[in-house]
Amino acid sequence: MGLTVVANALLGGGDQLTAEVVLFWVFAVLALGSALAVVTMRNIVHGALMLVINLLAIAGLYLTLESSFLSIIQVLVYAGAIMVLFLFVIMLLGVNRDDLLIARSLRTRVLAIVAGVALSGALLLAFVGPYTTSDSICGPDATETVAGDGTVRCIGLAERLGDDTSGVAFLGRQLFTRYTFPFELSALLLTVATIGAVILARRRDLEPEDLDPEGPDSDGPDSDGPERSGRDEQER
Amino acid sequence: MAIGYYFILSALLFVVGLVGVLVRRNAIVLFMCVELMLNAVNLTLAAAARMWGGPDGQVFVFFVIVVAAAEVVVGLALIVNLFFRRGTLDVDVPQLLRY
Repeated sequence: MGLTVVANALLGGGDQLTAEVVLFWVFAVLALGSALAVVTMRNIVHGALMLVINLLAIAGLYLTLESSFLSIIQVLVYAGAIMVLFLFVIMLLGVNRDDLLIARSLRTRVLAIVAGVALSGALLLAFVGPYTTSDSICGPDATETVAGDGTVRCIGLAERLGDDTSGVAFLGRQLFTRYTFPFELSALLLTVATIGAVILARRRDLEPEDLDPEGPDSDGPDSDGPERSGRDEQER
Repeated sequence: MAIGYYFILSALLFVVGLVGVLVRRNAIVLFMCVELMLNAVNLTLAAAARMWGGPDGQVFVFFVIVVAAAEVVVGLALIVNLFFRRGTLDVDVPQLLRY
């Protein structure tokens, strides 16, 4: 009895071992394991590399979800651009030491884990059942999403995509018709973010007021050392 | 593969990211945990797009990725500034806005 439940879950609610089931479990284990590693790793660089594995595993899951365009975008933007930026900042700050910064009070840690268990329990309660029966396996025969007995069917994208298996035309047509305005706004957002980053990354700025300039180390406001003032002079 | 397994997986990924944000105190690790949560939501949206057989979920994922890229650029610039001023990445140290 228990074994059949487990076997049913391992086969994803169906009765045969398809390529999708195998790929799902491989990528799911990779994604969950690397996510746990990001949270628990002592060294930030190791954590960032684990996050790369996580992002690549999610790109693989997009492939099994018939969303190959999203998969490519995930690899290019997340695993490429964003993670390079993360590693660049880690190296720039020189903080790749083994200092585990973790919440100091035990109460915070225990409450965080209790909140996590409660939230995952609530979400599992919602999803197990209506979404995990054999009805919810994506196939061409489903036309209505909600079946009569309360289970949820999966329509799948195969029919909508047709010959366009990459889904680029499918997505592009929506982006340039129905979602034109958000698309243009996102262009504006990227411009604003770039300008903001350029302004924020300048190092010649006022000191924060809660730092005492005559503090314990009498370096004063110029605590960044000679390197910084040298740079200021070069700019002038 | 029943579509619910994707939902369950992304729920678990989201919870892992949330616990990370609550427990860790390193600004860069907090940022990476936020990325984990964003990715979990993206996975849900892509799975829902497949469930409904429509394009909207995928379009939302596209926009979430764009916004996440912008957020990372500004956020990392802020972290660099914070580190140069305070000399630490511990998010408990800056308290200027505290009551």
